[in-house]
Amino acid sequence: MIILERVSKVYPHREEPALKGVNLQVGPGEFVYLTGPSGAGKTTLLRLLYGAELPSKGRVVVGGTDLGRLAPRHLPLLRRRLGLVFQDFRLMPRRSVYENVALSLEVAGTDRRIVERRVEEVLEQVKLSGLAKVPADTLSGGEQQRVALARALAPGPDLILADEPTGNLDPENALAMMRLLVGDYVGGATVLVATHDPTLLSLVRGGRVVHLERGRLEEAS
Amino acid sequence: MNRRGVVGRALRQMGEDLWLQGVAISTLAVALAIMGAYLALCLNLNQAAGRLLTGPTLLVVTDPQVRPEEGRELAAELSRLPGVASAAYVDQQEAMIRFRRQLGPQADLLDDLETNPLPNAVELVLTPDLAAPPELAAHIKNMAGVSDVVTGRPWLQRLERALRAGGELAVALGVLLFLAVVLVTSNTVRLAVHVRRRELELMALVGAGGGYMRGPFLVEAVLQGLAAAALASLMLWGLFSLLAAPDALPWGLRLGQILAFPPLLPAALGCLAVVSGLMGGFLGVGRSLHPREVL
Repeated sequence: MIILERVSKVYPHREEPALKGVNLQVGPGEFVYLTGPSGAGKTTLLRLLYGAELPSKGRVVVGGTDLGRLAPRHLPLLRRRLGLVFQDFRLMPRRSVYENVALSLEVAGTDRRIVERRVEEVLEQVKLSGLAKVPADTLSGGEQQRVALARALAPGPDLILADEPTGNLDPENALAMMRLLVGDYVGGATVLVATHDPTLLSLVRGGRVVHLERGRLEEAS
Repeated sequence: MNRRGVVGRALRQMGEDLWLQGVAISTLAVALAIMGAYLALCLNLNQAAGRLLTGPTLLVVTDPQVRPEEGRELAAELSRLPGVASAAYVDQQEAMIRFRRQLGPQADLLDDLETNPLPNAVELVLTPDLAAPPELAAHIKNMAGVSDVVTGRPWLQRLERALRAGGELAVALGVLLFLAVVLVTSNTVRLAVHVRRRELELMALVGAGGGYMRGPFLVEAVLQGLAAAALASLMLWGLFSLLAAPDALPWGLRLGQILAFPPLLPAALGCLAVVSGLMGGFLGVGRSLHPREVL
């Protein structure tokens, strides 16, 4: 599902590369924790995977697509196969929960009746069924993150990328979020969760752990 | 792309920021009003010039002994000549009445005249494509009952040349004004894109294509343009009604003719608004919706 070959990323005006010769392979359906302290390069690695950045060196392949060779106009097609979850939720604050979740389907031109049915399904999965009409900015942090997850799950993605998904949540909501990510709801998708919080690993066991330290990747046991 | 969806999203995003809409529409209305005023002036001046150029350009003075019936027969004969668009017999009384009308408030200067010095004449309107007016004038001068032929053609030809040069300048100025309107539109769209930056980046992250993101901005620019065109038309109509006094100008023109509100102006401004909205929309959105440029 994911192949990174000798990937380096250097940002302008920064002496230290954000990533140095990173090699990583993640198979379909795998659950992977990407750990490391703040500034280790986790977010950069995720940005490379969803095509917000191009590597300075090396090759990034997602779902068989070499992102270095992908024309920008084809990038939306790749992103429709991904589910993205961020620490800051990235919701449209004045829009309803329904509209936020439906967005990931509407951008792909999905029929309105299918959108309605699918949004209802995923809101049920994340236990927000009764809040479909509520504006997103009136929800608690935990609820907002579940809306973001519902939006990521709605198109039935092949790969879910979560960047510090529990960073703004209390332990109870963090556990609930992680259970959703490893549950049946992801429909066999590959899941890559970036976190700087080692306690998160103890919340949900069984995932593969890879560790980033100052831009270098090492596999943890 | 679902067209109803695009229009709906455009209307929705317009409704979410009414202040921005007010600023955008009023700015565009001013730009379109300037453009509209310019168009109206050009059109009215062009029509006025047309009236001058197609006016009686040849005056055939009849012999004093030619009776009115013979004068009218001469007019009929002259109207059949190649190069003559129309011919009308004007006796000296009618010529005096016209002269008085042209003099307006100064007409009482004519009261001291003991006799009417104006001759009986036939007024000829020549076709614009007439190649050799001097030959025509010479031919008419030799006809029976003709005393003299007075031609204003050389002066009119100079005026025509000047108007043609002025027309080219007017087109160039018009293009510049249109580009200014497009620039105003594109800046307005750029402002709208900036305001919705985060939302657009979010759309890009979940796989929205350029068309999905760009569509509502183009529709918004066109709708703003149409609203601004209506506002500009109203402003111009009011302004022209206010300024168009019945004052006389040189060459028999009237201020009311120059500052007349052309009935097709709102439609012309609407078309301009649509075209400038689409052009300005494309320019304004530009590269700001590049899928790689996300948070």
